[in-house]
Amino acid sequence: MPFASVLFAFVVGAIVVTVTGGNPIDAYQGLLCGGLGIACTQGENPALQIANTIVYTIPLITTGVAVALPFRAGLFNIGAEGQLLAGAMACTALGIKLHDWPAVILLPTVLVGGMLAGAVWAGIAGVLKATVGAHEVVTTIMLNYVAQWLLRFLIIGGPLELAEGTSKSLPIGDGAHLATFLPNSDTLQIFGLPASVYRVHVGLVIALVAVAVFAVLLWRTSLGYEIRAAGQSQKAARYAGVSVRRTIIVTMLIAGAFSGLAGAIQIAGVDHNLTDKYFSDTTGFDAIAVALLGLGSAVGIVLAAILFGALHAGGAVMQADAGISSSLVLVLQALILFSIAANFLNAIRLRIPGLGQAPSAPAPAAVGAALMTEAAVAPPQEGTTTT
Amino acid sequence: MSAITDILQLLVTANLWQVAMVSAVLLLLPALGGVISERSGVVNIAMEGMMLTGAFFAVWADLNWHSPWIAVLVAMIAGGLMALIHAVVSIRFRADQIVSGIAINIFAAGLTVYLVRTIYGLQDVGHVVPAEALPTWDVPLLSAIPFIGKVVFQQNVVVYIALIVLVLVEIVLFRTRLGLRIRAVGEHPQAADTAGLNVYVIRYGAVITSGLLSGLAGAFLAIGVSNTFVPNMTDGRGYIALAAMIFGKWTPRGAFVACIIFGLGEAIYANNSTIHVSQYLLSMLPYLITLVVLAGLVGRSTPPAADGIPYAAGSE
Amino acid sequence: MGRSQLRYLALVGAVLMVVAACGSTSSGPAAKQVKVGLVTDIGGLNDKSFNHLAYVGLQKAIADFNVKGEVTESKTGDDYVPNLTNFASKNYDLVIGVGFLMQEAVGKVSGSFPKVHFAIIDGAGTDASGKDLQHSNVQSLFFKEQDAGAMVGVIAGMLEKNKKAPGNTNVISAVGGVSIPPVNHYIAGFKWAATMEDPGIKVLIGYSNNFTDPAKCKSVAQSQIGQKSEILFQVAGGCGLGVLQAAGQAKVYSIGVDADQKDADASVIASALKKVDQATYTAIKNVVNNQFQGGALTFSIANNGAGYSLDNIQLPSDIQAELDKVQAAIKAGSMTPPADIPA
Repeated sequence: MPFASVLFAFVVGAIVVTVTGGNPIDAYQGLLCGGLGIACTQGENPALQIANTIVYTIPLITTGVAVALPFRAGLFNIGAEGQLLAGAMACTALGIKLHDWPAVILLPTVLVGGMLAGAVWAGIAGVLKATVGAHEVVTTIMLNYVAQWLLRFLIIGGPLELAEGTSKSLPIGDGAHLATFLPNSDTLQIFGLPASVYRVHVGLVIALVAVAVFAVLLWRTSLGYEIRAAGQSQKAARYAGVSVRRTIIVTMLIAGAFSGLAGAIQIAGVDHNLTDKYFSDTTGFDAIAVALLGLGSAVGIVLAAILFGALHAGGAVMQADAGISSSLVLVLQALILFSIAANFLNAIRLRIPGLGQAPSAPAPAAVGAALMTEAAVAPPQEGTTTT
Repeated sequence: MSAITDILQLLVTANLWQVAMVSAVLLLLPALGGVISERSGVVNIAMEGMMLTGAFFAVWADLNWHSPWIAVLVAMIAGGLMALIHAVVSIRFRADQIVSGIAINIFAAGLTVYLVRTIYGLQDVGHVVPAEALPTWDVPLLSAIPFIGKVVFQQNVVVYIALIVLVLVEIVLFRTRLGLRIRAVGEHPQAADTAGLNVYVIRYGAVITSGLLSGLAGAFLAIGVSNTFVPNMTDGRGYIALAAMIFGKWTPRGAFVACIIFGLGEAIYANNSTIHVSQYLLSMLPYLITLVVLAGLVGRSTPPAADGIPYAAGSE
Repeated sequence: MGRSQLRYLALVGAVLMVVAACGSTSSGPAAKQVKVGLVTDIGGLNDKSFNHLAYVGLQKAIADFNVKGEVTESKTGDDYVPNLTNFASKNYDLVIGVGFLMQEAVGKVSGSFPKVHFAIIDGAGTDASGKDLQHSNVQSLFFKEQDAGAMVGVIAGMLEKNKKAPGNTNVISAVGGVSIPPVNHYIAGFKWAATMEDPGIKVLIGYSNNFTDPAKCKSVAQSQIGQKSEILFQVAGGCGLGVLQAAGQAKVYSIGVDADQKDADASVIASALKKVDQATYTAIKNVVNNQFQGGALTFSIANNGAGYSLDNIQLPSDIQAELDKVQAAIKAGSMTPPADIPA
């Protein structure tokens, strides 16, 4: 179970903290407080901590879908970050150029614009994979870099720059803002703090709708069937009349749209302008872990996104309260990935084909296998047909 | 057009190629590691993390023991240990190799910063003094050759080591029985197994070798080029090395050509004060070139047949 | 191999922390202890540059005023608002944001917590359109980096003019991290002063587009050295350490930035100082003494908040005299280094 993976990571993480002279109980107390608002000892406001976690969770949900969907088709989308940036750039550009449009038109325009840009960005990798067989891991990594530099080009001396030397874009029009659930008021007090500190915005609803769309698409439509078929065996899918090339391209387009949506939501809901901070954003990479931990299912992705959102939020509190470097969060994240990779990935048949090759479908293995050690006792016997 | 003229003028200067050579070698070592690993059938995108780990431990060891060679050894062991984790997870437990590689990279990024905090607190990690850094060495006679001398023979010792490793890997992979075995395991593990080869041993060896080479690259970066450790200093080189490997169609010489192209891209970018084009668009160039090349200029790239597929012997 | 040593170091660290904790609790007087929260930007505390210096200033204040000081490092730009809010919501007396990139975050959070004092290094509390919100609880700590840049520019220009440079090529250069105001101010002062001392001098300016990878800066530096530059000014934080290395290997001069970088390499002849530690310390001191004032506080040569250090070089007396003259003129206001890079 994924829970066992998380447990494993926390146990090993505790050992790392202890060996290096820290107190794991203090560390995890800080993480719990910062992530979920539980067990706070230094006067943190629980409602604020939960709100922060939710804000971090929102883009992880949609980018998690953007990684999970191609998984099902046997594609590894490492480019969620670049696609997110493409969405953020398009959303910002539209929000600036059309800033005087009314909200009812402008808001949908910037969100859809972000989705389209993300789709195009991922579509490049999809087309290259389907036509010339260029491996998507490499092309999406390259596209991430191109997006990063395009971002700097746009906001440092480029067409979207606010003013010379500001290294940020003009703000988007007010009509392009996503509302927050609580009024953005500094005077209204809620749970003991001004309402403006709770930044949870309508993007949460959009992300939950998006993940529901993902579930329906995957399990209730013929396209979803084709995606799953292509992911299990390209050869078999072809026999069943599925155009694998078309499926690859369409899958990447849809995945890119989800990532692009995440970028657009961040701009419209949180930042309202494009800044240099997006250059070092890591949401699209965290999304890989979210998709894997969530076992590619809608509910799983949401739960995993909450976990990683909470870890992100908790790391800062852990550092301030317990004095333990928030880098521990990265170590935990990696440990979760290891234990999932070693165990559960095969169980849900997420076989990523070796570069260019499609292995036959592995037999479903024991989902109940718990920790790495158990897997060692009974290794899953599957797909070794390579010729 | 002036930007193109600027670049063409740069391309005839030995200085540009000398700088490019260093950038290329920082990519070449992990790329060669990748070639060996993937030729044996294990996808390896963990070079970034192994290199970063090597970089940290090189500085740590050099500051402790004041010897660059001990530091190189420690860095290679550190890189090798990271590779061992990748090997155990992906060979022994037959995990997805890409996921395991990503986990290694995240692990290394977290672990190195965590160790910096734990060992050095919130202070500067410290500087390796030049006398204890990996030395630059002019090859007698050869370094006097015009142009070539400056580019190839007035370099850090690691550059020479990397070029020797390049030749060795090329020979071993394609001219020796060991190379034949590695490739057999990567193409047809069943057949290799039937022929009496131990698929697991060969794959473990190949993956660990990639870690040793990446660790060496990390040491070069940290105590040959920078003389200090800065968090996240590898800055994506492991991923570029991965692209270079695929770009070079899983051959050492092909990867070398690709590394030179990326190295040149970086060196040309380094001259942004004299090139009349946006520095940001200039930065994009190597990545765009890779995309274009992958899009068809080099033709379809075919990996080893069993690359990425865990092997389970029937008897295990 | 290294494990035992590592554990030993960690133990020492833990013991020190315990000792420090005991010390602060036992000596705490009845008066309310001032609480200070420091939020770094994504450079982190080991950036060997302004985040690090801000931390140094905080440590000095902790020692001098017995304040309680906590630090949070921002992992991504998304962390600025939550990290600042976290300290503010816990009723800290002063929350310090380090860096130009945090302006909007400080603007937003300071609006939510009008009773908490905020300070921001290199910026103001702004809205999304970059407008200073002028919240009365925000103190902006600005630096005239151009002052510091000008001092090291004088050194470079005079060395070239007096033929005291390694090869007397009459070419010097600067390597910037990213083309943002704090970086460009330094370069502006550097170029302005060098050209003033030696009108025929050629000043190359390149950017690494990176603050963390010394190899990238080293490449830029080596390209400049290939174009005969022989005094290289690094303005790129941790990345810029590569500039100092490149200069050392090529036996030319280099100039450090922000902190005194004398120890980083023997080629470092001087460093342009931006006393972020002093600014942080001053901001804390003002809160401790109930003298906090909103608005901008500028650190420059005039108030010793910027300056230079002479490192691995023995300067001829005429250059030292010129340095003293220019410094006095800038202090008196009769000379004003520009904030924008002269053409």
